[in-house]
Amino acid sequence: MVRNNMTEPTIDIRFYLNGIAFNRNAPASWTLLRFLRDALGYTGTKCGCEVGECGACTVIVDGQPVNACLILTPQIDGANIWTIEGVAAAGANELHPIQKAFLECDAAHCGFCSPGMIMSTIALFLKNSNPDDAQIKQALAGNLCRCTGYIQIIDAVRKAASKITENDLQKFVS
Amino acid sequence: MSLPEPLIPKSLGDALKAKAGKNVVAIAGGTDILVKLHDRFDDPQPKLLILDHLKAIHKIAITKKEVTIGPLVTFSEIEKSDILKAHASQLTEAASLAGSTQIRNRATIGGNLANGSPAGDLISPLYVLGASLELSSSKSKRIVPIEEFFIGPGKTVLKSNELITAIKIPKLNNHGFFLRLATRRALAISKVSVAASLIIENKKIESIKIALGAVAPTVIRATRTEELLLGKALSPQVIADAASIIKEEARPIDDIRSNALYRKEMVGVLLKRGLEGILNG
Ligand SMILES: Cc1cc2nc3c(=O)[nH]c(=O)nc-3n(C[C@H](O)[C@H](O)[C@H](O)COP(=O)(O)OP(=O)(O)OC[C@H]3O[C@@H](n4cnc5c(N)ncnc54)[C@H](O)[C@@H]3O)c2cc1C
Repeated sequence: MVRNNMTEPTIDIRFYLNGIAFNRNAPASWTLLRFLRDALGYTGTKCGCEVGECGACTVIVDGQPVNACLILTPQIDGANIWTIEGVAAAGANELHPIQKAFLECDAAHCGFCSPGMIMSTIALFLKNSNPDDAQIKQALAGNLCRCTGYIQIIDAVRKAASKITENDLQKFVS
Repeated sequence: MSLPEPLIPKSLGDALKAKAGKNVVAIAGGTDILVKLHDRFDDPQPKLLILDHLKAIHKIAITKKEVTIGPLVTFSEIEKSDILKAHASQLTEAASLAGSTQIRNRATIGGNLANGSPAGDLISPLYVLGASLELSSSKSKRIVPIEEFFIGPGKTVLKSNELITAIKIPKLNNHGFFLRLATRRALAISKVSVAASLIIENKKIESIKIALGAVAPTVIRATRTEELLLGKALSPQVIADAASIIKEEARPIDDIRSNALYRKEMVGVLLKRGLEGILNG
């Protein structure tokens, strides 16, 4: 362990972020959310309540959706992490089918909850790519939309489910 | 939040040695402790002992007599476990209703117990299943029946040098249920929960345990209601009688989540719903 200039203890961690291998020195008491945003500059993951209630910071860790505000950097050592920045294919000039469905269904009003909603949708599809409405609602129950655009969001998930292929999901678990 | 250097043990033995240190606080899923630390700036800040990497206490095992659950097993893993579905349906039901998908993927059974909230949803199922907890320090190990583990809200008999290292449930062929009531179905802490385990032979209740969550300083057994039901066959009248006396066993308070009067009424309603579910098969 070494100390950084903020006299915070740091820890050396290795992880995959959006398919890229990282080896970083991270402040050990930082949450994954803060580390993504303030250290790595990945600001697509939003900071909402910071206590696990709102889901704006949902990311996928080892195939499972989790709140990035409730995980500390030492806890992601060795993990495979996906954030909204990695959803569309790298270098492609095209959005991912789930993102397209969100656009087409007007599922973003202010857009603050969208990254979390999309990460929860990916996680749902990893388990069940043909969900019924009850399963969609359950999968998104940990993501709040303060504009209350839930109808459009659920429409978007339903539409995405009708389009999604295994190929569109494979990378999130490999 | 700025914390001292965390401890990251690679084995349970190392973790137990580290737990003997001063001001060392274990962190499993972090869903309680990180919420508590979020707004806390007072000194001294705890040294976190990160349990994540301890595979030895992150599994579910079954023998002839009992099921053993490692404290790091998450709510999501409980929800999906075939072993637990078969032997502890109350527990899988409770795990599936708590928090959100994101919370269930991190929240652990050990954290739910050690946190000691009377509203912890896995606790009342473990009461009626007759669970016992293995508490270990680097020097010794003891087994504590779950009903002796909690002393008050947020208070348990866990010593500062101990970790919960196993949760053991005897195998019983029981009927049962877990029902809870919260402001919304997801992401809300229970206002009231009722868990029950029944053994019914030739329609007669041969054995019964009922536990109530969030209506007393700790989870409690509803022993008077159990006595009333013991030896009887379930019928609408018996269920109505039980639902009326169980209200008087609850000792709830008014707080931000609900009020005492409503909680008492709802204990009766949930018991009625659960028992009717069994009666109607
Ligand atoms: C948004 C949100 C919703 C929630 N909803 C619910 C709900 O519906 N129902 C419910 O019951 N709970 C709920 N909770 C509370 C919490 O998720 C649970 O209590 C969970 O089980 C805590 O487990 P953890 O692993 O995250 O604990 P942690 O936060 O890691 O630890 C909690 C406490 O337990 C101690 N500890 C952890 N593991 C051990 C061990 N093996 N030995 C000794 N001590 C240990 C820690 O030191 C700490 O004091 C919710 C929390 C949040 C943030």
